[in-house]
Amino acid sequence: MKHILAAVGVLILFVAPLLTNNSFYQHLMIMVLFWTLLGASWNLLGGFAGQVSFGHATFLGIGAYTTMLFYLSLNMSPWLGMIAGGVLGALVALPIGLICFRLRGPYFSLATLAVAEIVRLVALNWDQLTAGPVGLLITTLPPLSLGGHAVNWESKIPFYYIAAALMLFATVLTYAVSRSRFGAYLTAIREDIDSAEAVGIDTVGVRVSALVLSAFVVGLAGGFYSVYFRYIDPDAVFAISLSVEMVFIAVVGGLATTAGPVVGALVLVSIAEVFRERFAAGHLIFYGLFMMLVIRYLPEGIWGRLRFLLGLTR
Amino acid sequence: MTLLTVSGLRKDFGGLRAISDLSFELRKGEILGLIGPNGAGKTTAFNLITGFIPATAGTALLEGQSILGLKPSAIVKRGIARTFQVVKPFRNLSVLENVTLAAFLNEPRRVRAEEKARATLERVQLSRKIESNAGDLTLGEQKYLEIARALATDAKILFLDEPMGGLNPTEVENACALVQRIRQDGTTVILVEHHMQAIMKISDRVVVLHHGVKIADGTPHDVVRNRDVIAAYLGRQAA
Repeated sequence: MKHILAAVGVLILFVAPLLTNNSFYQHLMIMVLFWTLLGASWNLLGGFAGQVSFGHATFLGIGAYTTMLFYLSLNMSPWLGMIAGGVLGALVALPIGLICFRLRGPYFSLATLAVAEIVRLVALNWDQLTAGPVGLLITTLPPLSLGGHAVNWESKIPFYYIAAALMLFATVLTYAVSRSRFGAYLTAIREDIDSAEAVGIDTVGVRVSALVLSAFVVGLAGGFYSVYFRYIDPDAVFAISLSVEMVFIAVVGGLATTAGPVVGALVLVSIAEVFRERFAAGHLIFYGLFMMLVIRYLPEGIWGRLRFLLGLTR
Repeated sequence: MTLLTVSGLRKDFGGLRAISDLSFELRKGEILGLIGPNGAGKTTAFNLITGFIPATAGTALLEGQSILGLKPSAIVKRGIARTFQVVKPFRNLSVLENVTLAAFLNEPRRVRAEEKARATLERVQLSRKIESNAGDLTLGEQKYLEIARALATDAKILFLDEPMGGLNPTEVENACALVQRIRQDGTTVILVEHHMQAIMKISDRVVVLHHGVKIADGTPHDVVRNRDVIAAYLGRQAA
């Protein structure tokens, strides 16, 4: 059953952008994939290990700026830059983890929020490096040819497949983690951190590793963001709202599940767009109402409940 | 042979000296009882030696190597595992998963770790509950589960914090038998316990704490006749 669902999912993933010529719908599909990627990487730490981070925008911003700056000043291919963004995100996560994981529960969450604000303000004021609030702009992407065909960067389709590949990577990674000893350790930490330590789990080391892994994937996503939009500024990629949105996606979809972030991103991106179209600025009211309903009636998330109803839990 | 040597152990909580100058030895293969009135510092002593709270002063040597100052998980890797006075199972996980998490320490592959967890649960007679959620077990079963978890780390020494607290007489009987079986299988045991009959029956040696100070150390037979011990429990007049 699980395998059939996964196969159908991958099939839909491949054909979806070919079903429409409307570039707005294609853009929405890319956004769903982008948010799935972010939700899934947040879920690694927040869902499996129960360590709620409100600062993941830090790694998104670092990934985006790394990719952008390496391309603009060193002329490094943005595709390589994206990986560099992930690596740099992971490197930055290391000291953040070592500092913040001395704290537990809500204190950890507040520390991540504080660190994220510090990083955002640094990015905003370090003009020589980031150009501050003016932001960075890429006008053209380097040409790339696949199988003799030049890739058309003005079309959404190539971006869709790049986002799809990243999202698949994050989903497979989540699945692999959920099956591994490392994943079991994360669950133990979520359940009871003292008991985890008492059975020999290095709870700081495991949490830092989860954060680093999560930051790597978010950094990749940041790199993708900068290449797709071709413009970034600190408020676009370091904003607290981005961090919070990642939490929402994971929670609405279902914490500590592989498919949860896909469902969360699909539902939330669609809802945001539908209501934005009809109610302009008022759409956030509906978004908020929806969040409240989910938290009140589906605390295990949409996919969390569905997989239970379908009998997919182990 | 001495397995664990604790000397000059001290813990101050602000102005309160919870443990002062505690020294004792734990010999390989023995069952050592740690007793004392409420607030004597028994659990604090456990927390210090197992690394859950930092000591103010003192040393603890496991087979000659210092363990004080290590993280709890590092101490478990060296061979000391514990249970908690107030049980802390992984409540939403199955009994099997609880013990498998401990077995993972020396058995990284899941299939092997689960095998070992099953065998360990057999030892504490919890096999029939293997699929249950740990949170649904009775208190007695949860205490056994914690013992199984500690055993599955392949510890040389088990620190059991009130394994019989809150159990009925039959359960206490079974728990005594279990602790004795664990020792026969080659694991050294130190336990904090309020159940006097049980501790007198199974301990080879007893250490008595009172207001953080060791007031007696000897065989159960000698300790119950010690005037200081009687005074600590019943008051000066009784002694």
